[in-house]
Amino acid sequence: MESAFVAISSDFQVYGAVERDGDVIFDRVAGFDQVSEERSRYAPKEFLMKRNENVLILNVESKKAVFGIKSCDLKGFYLMDKQIFGKDPFYTQKREKTLFANFVCSEPCNGGFCSSFGGPVLDQYDLQILREGEKFHVMVSEKYDRYFREFKKETGTFYVDFSNRFNSKLEPLPVEGIEKRIKWNSELWKEYASACISCGACNFECPTCYCFDLYDDGNERKKEWDSCILSGFTSSSAGNIRKGLDERLRQRFYHKFVYFKKSKDTYLCTGCNRCVEDCPVGIDIKEVITYDYNGE
Amino acid sequence: MSVLTVCPYCGTGCQMVIPTQTPGERVIGYSKSPVNEGKLCLKGYSGLSYNFSKERLKYPLIKRNGEFVRVSWEAALTETSNRLKKIIREYGPDSVAFQSSAKCTNEENYLMQKIARVIGTNNIDHCARSCHSPTAMGLITTLGAGAATGSINSLDDSKTYFVIGSNTTEQHPIIGTKIIKGSKKGKNLIVADPRKTQLAEIASIHLQFNPGTDVALLNSIMHVILEGNLEDTKFIEERTEGFRALRQELAKYSPEIVEGITGIEPGKLREAAKIIAKEKPTSILYAMGITQHVHGTENVMSISNLALLTGNLGVRGSGIFPLRGQNNVQGSSDMGALSEWYPGYIPVNSDSVKRFEILWKRSLPTKTGLTLSEMFDAAVDGSLKAIYIMGENPLVTEAAISDVEKGIENLELLIVQDIFMTLTAGLADIVLPATTSLEKEGTFTNTERRIQKVNVIYDSPGEAMPDWWILNEIGKRVGGLESYDTPRSIFEEIRKAIPNYSGATYENIYPTGKQWPINKENPDGTEILHTKSFPIGKGKLVPIPYRPPVEVTDAKYDFIMTTGRNYFHFHSGTMSRRADVLERESPEPYVEINTEDAKRIGVRDSQKITIESRHGSIETNVRTTEKIPAGIVFVPFHFDESRVNRLVGKTLDPLSKIPEFKVVAVRLVV
Amino acid sequence: MENEYRPHTLKMSKMTEETPDVYTIEMDSKNEGRAGQFYMLSVPGVGEAPISVASGFGRNLIFTIRDVGSVTSKLKNLQFVGIRGPYGTGWPWKEYDEVIGVAGGIGIPPIRSLLEEMMDSGRQQDLEVMYGARTPSDLVYKKDFGDWTKSINLQITVDRANAEWNGNVGFVPALLRKAHLSRMAAVFVIGPPLMMINTVKEALKLGYREDRIFISLERRMECGIGVCGHCNIGEHYVCESGPIINYSRVRNDKELFL
Ligand SMILES: Cc1cc2nc3c(=O)[nH]c(=O)nc-3n(C[C@H](O)[C@H](O)[C@H](O)COP(=O)(O)OP(=O)(O)OC[C@H]3O[C@@H](n4cnc5c(N)ncnc54)[C@H](O)[C@@H]3O)c2cc1C
Ligand code: SF4
Ligand code: SF4
Ligand code: SF4
Ligand code: FES
Repeated sequence: MESAFVAISSDFQVYGAVERDGDVIFDRVAGFDQVSEERSRYAPKEFLMKRNENVLILNVESKKAVFGIKSCDLKGFYLMDKQIFGKDPFYTQKREKTLFANFVCSEPCNGGFCSSFGGPVLDQYDLQILREGEKFHVMVSEKYDRYFREFKKETGTFYVDFSNRFNSKLEPLPVEGIEKRIKWNSELWKEYASACISCGACNFECPTCYCFDLYDDGNERKKEWDSCILSGFTSSSAGNIRKGLDERLRQRFYHKFVYFKKSKDTYLCTGCNRCVEDCPVGIDIKEVITYDYNGE
Repeated sequence: MSVLTVCPYCGTGCQMVIPTQTPGERVIGYSKSPVNEGKLCLKGYSGLSYNFSKERLKYPLIKRNGEFVRVSWEAALTETSNRLKKIIREYGPDSVAFQSSAKCTNEENYLMQKIARVIGTNNIDHCARSCHSPTAMGLITTLGAGAATGSINSLDDSKTYFVIGSNTTEQHPIIGTKIIKGSKKGKNLIVADPRKTQLAEIASIHLQFNPGTDVALLNSIMHVILEGNLEDTKFIEERTEGFRALRQELAKYSPEIVEGITGIEPGKLREAAKIIAKEKPTSILYAMGITQHVHGTENVMSISNLALLTGNLGVRGSGIFPLRGQNNVQGSSDMGALSEWYPGYIPVNSDSVKRFEILWKRSLPTKTGLTLSEMFDAAVDGSLKAIYIMGENPLVTEAAISDVEKGIENLELLIVQDIFMTLTAGLADIVLPATTSLEKEGTFTNTERRIQKVNVIYDSPGEAMPDWWILNEIGKRVGGLESYDTPRSIFEEIRKAIPNYSGATYENIYPTGKQWPINKENPDGTEILHTKSFPIGKGKLVPIPYRPPVEVTDAKYDFIMTTGRNYFHFHSGTMSRRADVLERESPEPYVEINTEDAKRIGVRDSQKITIESRHGSIETNVRTTEKIPAGIVFVPFHFDESRVNRLVGKTLDPLSKIPEFKVVAVRLVV
Repeated sequence: MENEYRPHTLKMSKMTEETPDVYTIEMDSKNEGRAGQFYMLSVPGVGEAPISVASGFGRNLIFTIRDVGSVTSKLKNLQFVGIRGPYGTGWPWKEYDEVIGVAGGIGIPPIRSLLEEMMDSGRQQDLEVMYGARTPSDLVYKKDFGDWTKSINLQITVDRANAEWNGNVGFVPALLRKAHLSRMAAVFVIGPPLMMINTVKEALKLGYREDRIFISLERRMECGIGVCGHCNIGEHYVCESGPIINYSRVRNDKELFL
């Protein structure tokens, strides 16, 4: 692995998940063995869209490789692609020039529910690494195949078996059909609104949330991560379509489970649990999936 | 690399992690922090953009013929010190005054007050005057320490929360979330607030009392407690004094009589009182709704009475939590950036000032200095000639703004050290560009006394320099101070100056900070104060008679206005209004009016309206809401285009000299 | 890839005050947008605002703007305007034999553009326009009315009349009854939410076909290209699938009108 890492390092700026003061974040790394296997605190979507960037100038980006991203986060980026790839030049360029090496989890993480969306073995990836003891199983896309010519390719049902094993350890949630079960006037939204402090964490930490705000600052026009939990998100000169916090919380779940399903035929969530972990009042998207709307 | 630092906004002092090598200015909460446990509010996530604003001050400026001219640091420093020295020579040290800042580090506050005192004046003050001076005054009197008695983390152990005069989820959101989660788990939550805040909505009991009647309300709660023999007799006997006098005073406050003052139905009040006393431990949280009154100090002492009477001090889950506005109000007060206290709350006129004379090798002034608002009065009457302001914007935040304007006009010299060209800076003779807290090193002390490390994350723009560096240069030139080459060297001196800080070092407060007192006896700091005794021995119960607010409504001024912050902005908005997501959420000044009132006087949402008080008038936009009771209006003070403090008068709490920001009689003119 | 966010600069050739808070600006270049589409106009240092084209395709580019805030108050004083677009969908007039355009208030510019486009293709006889404003002084394009009435059935109404007014008084939806075209005509509706709701109701009542009613939706828009997420209505992003959208596609959406 180390040799492939070195080869990649000569073509890319290399980053990895690393532990600092007890939190796993992303940083420059110099060796494969420095990369943490733990799920990072956040989905590293800033590699694709900076929290804040000037959109008046489209700089040529350097090539970056990011090791140690988890499958749930990478899957999120593939979902974002469906909406914004090829349309937003900043995202598109970075997406094309960033190699993500996702580490496949062999044990379910605390709180995660990725098995509900297929589990940690992805069928779209740049470089998918599955560690078994000292051994690495590598799946690599054509684009990056040249770094792994020497590697023996896994054949047969290895990955499928692995995936089934993993998913049987983590009971999937009944997400199928949620777009039909979920209820517009559910009490849930009001209950959540009584607790939510509009911090935006559930959007900022999510690997699938792509929304941003555009604004001018001096001679720059900046694009900054936005959150649909905020009331200004939809205020327009005609009024505000989502005045209530309950309506805005509902928008988040409806986008993930209803709207995206309708327009792109997939849910906009990967089960990474980030929005649950970072919500200061413990609002849990899993409850939105499992809630008995009919029983209300 | 990632850098751990402290959020620059409120007094909660959330710790944040900022990766510095990856693209995109990512910010997350530090998961190991006992303060925020990995969480942040919107200001933490989206509020840091001000740091990169194109409007940051980059170069020192001197006003020549009414225009600012860019100069070198050397020129700016020389001119600043020469002009200060000249004024001191001609008019004496009390002709200059310093305004320090709760946005600056402990090191910087310490240095600024030291400069003032070494020059020979106690004319040093800062915005703690306008938010928590009654807390310091009140709690030092009754308990011996003017600070939160427990930790934010210890709130997990409360069975009951009593929140009074604090819109916690908006002002101290992360502390607010503790209470939300507790209440959702079934803990008792009693909220006393004239407005229907988010906490009030989910509270077990909401006491929606008339503004300014806090003492009556609290006395009445205590009356009920005594009536039902629910007081903690053992605690009162062993740990307090003054019970008899207090009981005598409380006898007058039966809920039935008090209803006429507070508007609270007796049954509700009785129920609340019983929960507070019986469902222990109870923590009491308050903020500016308690302090910003002419009776601010008395309000604080009433809270202290309640905690002592019910034995709610000294154990986890109990205690008094004054929620600090600015990120470093606790620290800047600890550092003695106040006109009546040397560092560590040593009264200026006490013998203990000797300690500093030895430490600083000077004889020091012992006359109480001017407070913030007194400074501007003194400028108006001509006795004050120069003000040196670090990181404050009194033209927006002070009461009675027109007096501030007059004062500033009358000065010979106004120096402003800031990160932006604020309204106040615009009037300065010399403007010194400072760095933000994301660009410098030092320490902040949060609302629970936790001393936390602030670290350099970003490069500063242009020639902006850290406040401590600028002060150090001024100190050398004007006060003949020795030079500090790092914030650490200043902190080392703070450890000598303030016993409660003596055990803290830059190393041992990393990464999660430590709560003072931290000293030989408590090397790990102190989470809960007053576990066995109070610094003054016994806790003092003080009878507080209720006196009505000074500002009352009459036929002409028929509304009561209260002022404050909203969730999205901070104080004069210098930072938050340059963070676009925050500015978009709250782009314009407004007044909240009860929906029925609005109907009655015939105004609609977004309509322009004039608010007049006995002291001034402003124009703003109507926002109708059911969350505010009839007869009361709320106006946030973030907007320099419509400065609500024009309406606020100059009635000061005689004890702490805080102006009454929370009760102003106004009328609405359509 | 092109930087879609970078506006180009157009020179403004003319500015006309229409009413106390509405003005029209004309650019020194041709309109490449179809009636119903919009451009993002920007004021450097202030921001951007989505504004519909008010002139026909290929004519001089014109916008009519109501001053409601930071960008819209400053556009009129510029010499050069930052512009990107055109974005969104246009009125599908070519697909229908007859078209009735119904505009309320500041909804009129896209109908003006429609009128010019249909005139330029010689199809003015297939168009009728209903236009309402709050008061006579809120009406824009007054100087064009004379020309237009020569070639089309133009009906105008005001909610409240003044002394000089001798035309229709009442709300726009009521004007629909004065249409001469058949009930198979497509109805294009644009204006404030309440006006659109009532117009659609009235059109359905009068027997116009639901799948031939098109409405123009106003949402907060920032990117214009379907990536910023602000303008969604259900699964549609209005900047892409709209602003002109078939009523039957969105009629069940609970967030259709404010
Ligand atoms: C497709 C479309 C076409 C439009 N065509 C026209 C037109 O031809 N003529 C015309 O006068 N107006 C038109 N508008 C409305 C116009 O875009 C808004 O009035 C304008 O964005 C307000 O910008 P501002 O900066 O001046 O206002 P601000 O000072 O930013 O705010 C004033 C009000 O406008 C809202 N607003 C701010 N930004 C946006 C935004 N990006 N999109 C929508 N609302 C916003 C604010 O919430 C606030 O209520 C159109 C809107 C859309 C969506
Ligand atoms: S919605 Fe929550 S669980 Fe789903 S991908 Fe986003 S952060 Fe993860
Ligand atoms: S959930 Fe909200 S912030 Fe996330 S992508 Fe959807 S609309 Fe945008
Ligand atoms: S993370 Fe929780 S509190 Fe924050 S905006 Fe999302 S739901 Fe609300
Ligand atoms: S305006 Fe950005 S998605 Fe529509």
